[in-house]
Amino acid sequence: MVTFERDVLPILTSNCLGCHGGLLQKGDLDLRSMPALLKGGKSGPAVKPGDPDASPLWEAIDSGEMPKGEKKLSAGEKEMLRRWVAAKLPTVASLPGDAAHKLSVGTTHPPTVVAAAIDAEIDTALRRQIFKPASPSDDAEFLRRIYLDLAGRVPTAAQAAAFLDSSEIDKRGRLIEELLASPQFGEQFGRTWRDWIAPPELPSDPNSGKQPVNETRALGKWFADRFNADEPWDEIVRAVVGVEGEAKNHPQVVALGLMGEGGKTTPAGSARGVASLFMGMQIQCAQCHDDPYRVFSQDEFWQLAAFFKKANGDFTKVYENPPPPKPDPKKPQDPDKKPKPVDPATIGTIDIPSSSFKNVGKRISARFPAGQEHKPDGDEPLRPALLNWLTAKENPYFARAFVNRTWSYFFNRGIVHPVDDLRPLNPPSHPHLLDLLEQQFKASNYDVKHIVRCICNSAAYQRTSRPAPVESESQGAALVRGFGRMPVRVMNADVLYESLKQIYGDPKFDLRSVDPKDGNTNGESAAVGDELLEFQRKFCTNEEDAADFTHGIPQMLAMLNHPRLLVGGAALGAYAHVPWTPLDKTGNPGKPVQPPSVKGGTAVPTPQQVVEWLYLSTLSRRPTAQERDEALDYVAKLNDPPRAYADVLWMLVNRSEFMLLR
Amino acid sequence: MTTKPFLARRDCLRLGAAGLLSSASVPWFESVVRAAQSQSPRGRSKACILLWMDGGPSQQHTFDPKPGGEFKSTPTAVPGIHIVEQLPKLAASMKDLAILRSMKTEINDHYDAKYYLHTGFKRTTTFEHPALGCIASHQIGRETELPAFITIDAGNDKGNGGRLYRSVPAYLGPEHAPLAVQNALMGLENLKPTGGDLEARLELLSRSEARFLEQYPSPAVSAKQAALSRAVRLMKSNKAKAFNLDEEPAALRAAYGEHRFGQSCLLARRLVEAGVSFVEVFHRGWDDHEGAAKRITERAPWMDAGMSALIGDLKQRGMLEDTLVIWMGEFGRTPGKGDGHFCNAWTSVFAGGGINTGITIGKTNEDGKKPGNEVVERPISAPDFMATVCKVLDIDTHQEFIAPGQRPMPLVEKTAKVVSELFA
Repeated sequence: MVTFERDVLPILTSNCLGCHGGLLQKGDLDLRSMPALLKGGKSGPAVKPGDPDASPLWEAIDSGEMPKGEKKLSAGEKEMLRRWVAAKLPTVASLPGDAAHKLSVGTTHPPTVVAAAIDAEIDTALRRQIFKPASPSDDAEFLRRIYLDLAGRVPTAAQAAAFLDSSEIDKRGRLIEELLASPQFGEQFGRTWRDWIAPPELPSDPNSGKQPVNETRALGKWFADRFNADEPWDEIVRAVVGVEGEAKNHPQVVALGLMGEGGKTTPAGSARGVASLFMGMQIQCAQCHDDPYRVFSQDEFWQLAAFFKKANGDFTKVYENPPPPKPDPKKPQDPDKKPKPVDPATIGTIDIPSSSFKNVGKRISARFPAGQEHKPDGDEPLRPALLNWLTAKENPYFARAFVNRTWSYFFNRGIVHPVDDLRPLNPPSHPHLLDLLEQQFKASNYDVKHIVRCICNSAAYQRTSRPAPVESESQGAALVRGFGRMPVRVMNADVLYESLKQIYGDPKFDLRSVDPKDGNTNGESAAVGDELLEFQRKFCTNEEDAADFTHGIPQMLAMLNHPRLLVGGAALGAYAHVPWTPLDKTGNPGKPVQPPSVKGGTAVPTPQQVVEWLYLSTLSRRPTAQERDEALDYVAKLNDPPRAYADVLWMLVNRSEFMLLR
Repeated sequence: MTTKPFLARRDCLRLGAAGLLSSASVPWFESVVRAAQSQSPRGRSKACILLWMDGGPSQQHTFDPKPGGEFKSTPTAVPGIHIVEQLPKLAASMKDLAILRSMKTEINDHYDAKYYLHTGFKRTTTFEHPALGCIASHQIGRETELPAFITIDAGNDKGNGGRLYRSVPAYLGPEHAPLAVQNALMGLENLKPTGGDLEARLELLSRSEARFLEQYPSPAVSAKQAALSRAVRLMKSNKAKAFNLDEEPAALRAAYGEHRFGQSCLLARRLVEAGVSFVEVFHRGWDDHEGAAKRITERAPWMDAGMSALIGDLKQRGMLEDTLVIWMGEFGRTPGKGDGHFCNAWTSVFAGGGINTGITIGKTNEDGKKPGNEVVERPISAPDFMATVCKVLDIDTHQEFIAPGQRPMPLVEKTAKVVSELFA
């Protein structure tokens, strides 16, 4: 059925809202929402339910009068509009309800029960679209995916073999528990939230001139500790947004600094960041003018920003009430000096700054989004009130934003997409699924791991990502969008880095080939960063298209030719009892390291065992007979086992199967 | 209005991956090469070499000397035009230069100015604009083994000019991102095979890759395999030699100067010759807060040699008409000592590209309390500058793109006017 949000609004957005939206309302007409459409403009209501020919909107478009300019609506778009008016303006809310079973609200249900409900929602939607879901993943595919997603790296050969060889009932559920209990879970989710707060460096990032690389890494570790300690999400967010103090005790202070501008916190930056990350709302357009496409006004933006007016700081501190400066012994203290009194008229307000295009200087009072004005008690801190409002169970944004973002982490797409565009007019693809997860998150008192458990135990998450032999690209994409098959993505830089470090047994894994001391470091203008920063630059993934290789050639050349990939590693040396050759300071192969001596009774593994170990360490599976024979042939022909094993390892990490998260 | 037509590389990638599959009997990359060649390269199009003096070079210590200034001026090959005597070779090349002495660009902060002069738009935190090199890649780039946009780091001096600007393609798509050469003397990193028999290893790899694509016919697998094919293709191609300066005669290498800047200019010429559309050579450390005289006295010989040799070499090869060379930074420096940032009246230099040369455009004041403090004739804004470069490169500046968020974006700010004196 045609609906306003899914079918009509996209047409209006690309053709009409430029002149009849938040920026301009020609003829007093605003087409951004249903109420506005029904209200209409100078010529009365824009649409008459059920009667296209009596609807000015349809008339203007059908006659070609609108949109002005050369580009008109296509015949298909016109037909869509006509059908929608004729069908009496249906919206997503008017779609028939799902027959799926509903879980009681307010109770934390066992993960497998929630998982079953997740699957019921998804499968119902797939059936409606006449899609057949992909088959379940086999153990090897599941093993690899769950390690990459929850531990942020591939399993070791021993971990892979243990899982593949286990005949325990529910070994998948047990592995999920095991990984959630390991510190690597927090580390991976910490890095993920770090990247969400401070996206990969871009020229337009707000802090352009200053790159707090170390502080940002510390933020990732801070998150890691919180997740590993099972801290509930509301407490974590309170600590990030409400922080008062310095980086040495509170590494999370950098978050507000990163959202700000020029290395300092700003009210506008904090409002933008908090809305996007913790409320799932894009409000940045409204900083300077009413949003042309969303129903969000400039006043509303600054009502939220007003809560951050007093939170001043930078990458290393945030204070609403800074401690008094230490007395300077050189300057005599003035006993009569008192702090400047605050003008009562400005308490809880903010003036729109000159950097905005419109309404500069207008005074705006703090107000909860879509809620009441906040009247602070004197000059008290402002953020606690906002946080009480934000993290309350009645809050319509907080829990939904988290579960939607978490879902997108696993499925590469939010139930609402994009993940920070939650609003009535951008409805979820699976409304009941989002409700279900939101309710579970609230019922569990914002238990992060509960949500992860529920998702990872679902059949949807455990399906294969393997494309069907015969299907068009658009069919495949639609099935993946409907969560009927898992997506195939490129491993992100950190996951690849952690995996390579483990596989090679090298805690640094330095792929830089230019000596950083070769005149290349020069304060902020340095062209080459440390080994991790350079790895992230070279292997960063494309946010717009997770299947793309952003820096194709330099990435591939590094994987193919950097000596680090070709000299083997400590892990291989120790397993296979072969020497390996670390790189020296100049980046060239140095002195070989001999393997530990073979103790009595320990047999040196056969080439076949080494090949199997190499496959398990990299691809998390055993080789097929053909793969094994090819590798053994190669080893035999080269007649130099240490080198041959290193070459097979090189081949494995260069495989598509290795570099993809599937 | 044009919507972004940037599927070309993706299509090429698909071809690449298909080639990989059907290559059972021939070496596995050969068919990929053929597939890519079937996309005919564009006709002759222009190229650009941007010499970026990061940190902001002093105009009065280079191309806009003033009476009573710290550097004496010298006559050039064009009667009536003077530049500083520290740049004798460029003075001799003046017939091939056009000096724009009236840059007036509003922003005095390093990073925001670097962004402004690279994109033609002021930086905002909510929207990313594509850099000039990426625009050139998108608009005039050719399908070859080499990426259309390459940057070369020519090293640095003591000064710290703030965070380095890294060109991003933004809404034009990641295929227009630059390939970075970190040191011209070392060539492109990781281009040369290391370890043992590469062919044998690639064969081992390609067999399993072909099987995997059969099992997993997904766009991500094709993209990965095509990226791999492109890298291998580049390693094996004749074009890879473009990165090797050792192929140049010793006399020519010497003419460019021993300094890494000159050698970077030479590499830029080789890359343009091999079909690259845009090369940015950047040298960091022109932020001379202690005064420009001492530092530029040290830098002038190598800058003079590198830039003049580049122009002369391009000319001798018949490439200068099609290759625009630009010398500039993000702003100039305060009149007099050159110790502060100065965006109000500064200089950039053009050569080649078929423009009018042997001329100066615009003027700064010669007298008054502070000579050089104001533009007195023909101010050139950052958008004007960008529109002018685009026009030289035959890029239509009136194009409009649909950027993320349904936001219509002109390629160049609509208020921009080209510097018409450069065109016949």
